[in-house]
Amino acid sequence: MSQHLEEEVPLSTTAERKIIVDQAGAAPSKEWVIVTRGVKREYDMGGEIVRALRGVDIAVRRNEYVAIMGPSGSGKSTLMNIIGCLDTPNEGEYWLNGQLVSTMKDDELARVRNKEIGFVFQTFNLLPRATALANVELPLVYAGISSNERRERAMEALEAVQLGERVHHRPNELSGGQRQRVAIARALVNRPSILLADEPTGNLDSKTSEEIMRVFEGLAETGQTVIMVTHEPDIAAHARRVVVLRDGTIESDERREVFTEKLGLTL
Amino acid sequence: MSNLSSRLYNLGEGVRIALDAIIGNKVRAGLTILGVAVGVFVVVVISAAVHGINMSVAKDFESTGPTTFFVTRYPIVFEACDGTDDTCAWLRNPPISWGEVETLSRLENAAAVGVRMDWRGSYKYKDKSLPSAGIEAYTSNWALFGAPEMQPGGRVFTEQEVRGAARVVVLNTTAAERLFGESDPLDKNIAIDQVQFRVIGVYKDNASFLSGGDSPKGVMPVTTLQRSLNVRRSDMGLVVKPRDGVARDVMIDDVTAAMRASRGLRPSQESNFAIITQDKLLETYDAIFGMFFLVMIALSAVGLIVGGVGVVAIMMISVTERTREIGVRKALGATRATILFQFLVEAVTLTGIGALIGLAFGWGAAYLLRSTTPIEASIPPLAALAALGASAVTGVLFGMIPAARASKLDPVESLRHE
Repeated sequence: MSQHLEEEVPLSTTAERKIIVDQAGAAPSKEWVIVTRGVKREYDMGGEIVRALRGVDIAVRRNEYVAIMGPSGSGKSTLMNIIGCLDTPNEGEYWLNGQLVSTMKDDELARVRNKEIGFVFQTFNLLPRATALANVELPLVYAGISSNERRERAMEALEAVQLGERVHHRPNELSGGQRQRVAIARALVNRPSILLADEPTGNLDSKTSEEIMRVFEGLAETGQTVIMVTHEPDIAAHARRVVVLRDGTIESDERREVFTEKLGLTL
Repeated sequence: MSNLSSRLYNLGEGVRIALDAIIGNKVRAGLTILGVAVGVFVVVVISAAVHGINMSVAKDFESTGPTTFFVTRYPIVFEACDGTDDTCAWLRNPPISWGEVETLSRLENAAAVGVRMDWRGSYKYKDKSLPSAGIEAYTSNWALFGAPEMQPGGRVFTEQEVRGAARVVVLNTTAAERLFGESDPLDKNIAIDQVQFRVIGVYKDNASFLSGGDSPKGVMPVTTLQRSLNVRRSDMGLVVKPRDGVARDVMIDDVTAAMRASRGLRPSQESNFAIITQDKLLETYDAIFGMFFLVMIALSAVGLIVGGVGVVAIMMISVTERTREIGVRKALGATRATILFQFLVEAVTLTGIGALIGLAFGWGAAYLLRSTTPIEASIPPLAALAALGASAVTGVLFGMIPAARASKLDPVESLRHE
């Protein structure tokens, strides 16, 4: 994680983002890890067309810690699926780490997910029959990494989330917070460009939520790009920058200080 | 997924998941495994039996020597006979006569000509009886048909006894045991079809397939069978053994010429007798076992299809139950091929377990067959391999349907699945 050395990387400014987003068709420079240009996504729900995203422009610079907020139906899940390469837009461009992923096919997307994205889910989504270690090894298996190196890296990742003692436990032998930390270790083990968390504290009590938020904070400090989707303002307030979606478009995209001040939240 | 270690990991994981699934769904998995096991069992047992029979047939032929051949009234035919001369002119073949036996015996190249007749009759000794047991009748050169293994004390009938149609009989061990139990049968008188016979020896049957296994049976001179038991209708079968150094085909030509001359056949007429060589007999047996194999393949195919349908069912349920897991795997970077492979491994594990169980039971059945019947049943390694291969192919073919479904699942939908 070489970004760690470029200390005090500033948040991207609105003006900088506008320049990047407006250059339709052009590959963004390396420092921009996520760039979407006019992304639209529609679903056919039994003859009725649902327009989940109506043209979304987002640019995220490497090392940023961004929360995507919005009420249910705002399109934030759809946007997360597209950013996570689980889905592709009907229209518009999506550049991830310099690659145009919006036109990729299934298997290419699978490889991009494996290499570039670390998922953390609300319900943890650990494989129930596999140990913590085996769960963390899985992305490395799909990356085709040899078993010795897999083991080594999975152990490191688990130690980094203070679970070095519980590597042989199965998910049902772990607490909620521990499970989410296994999931974080799994997300990070393949050194992805972005950590993409979907309501990471949705199934946790407030104390454990704080614990997980501290893990995210630590990651952001070491230069990991983090994208967190949430509907809870106080969780979103942990990020440096907050994007609010409404009705499939971006309502606001601001530094968290502006966001918290507007909502009257105190940190 | 180019890396071997990842492939192996997926293989191991697939096997482990399949085992978990089997434990979790005992009835479903049990039926699937049962189907495959039955299929494999049928293949293995039948091929073990056929293998054993083949071995004993081959042994039978070996014991008579490679150059001997048979002369019979009727040929061995498989074509359906509708009674007309087109399909079965051989029905008009006259029986082989004693005069012809004499003629053949006098051929310069012939070392010996043996005669065999088969009949059935009732045996009785004191209060014990065998209502219908085999009677074999030979000339004094019985050994031409395969030397009998005599029990100590007894003997075979002599040339004189054959010429004089003596009422003597050699029992096989089964007949001796049934009639005499523990007591000594030698020199005892028994009744065969109400005619009194003296037991002069007991022989141990080779217990082969051709000689009718080890069912009770007595052997007497062919003259005795004809005169004392008044059997005229039974057909004689001849065995001809050429002298050393005379090729079998030369002997066959001699015999054919002598028989045709004796029957006054013109060159344009077909021979009205049959010459059966051991090759021909083996061919015949091969033809019979060819049909056996067809039946076997059909039966095992049914078993494997049942197993295959089970594989589809259990795997479809497995895919549905694990939709979310598939979504997670895809999110973590599993490609379609990876998911496909994983589920195929699972399917093949299911059918593989079935195959192993079928093989184990088949081995047991072959053992049982071997120890209770004269058939030296043993599983040919090739049949075991073929059965395992067929079960693996079944797993892949039928597993393909659910595996393809799993591999095509949409990751977003799967992750949303409860």
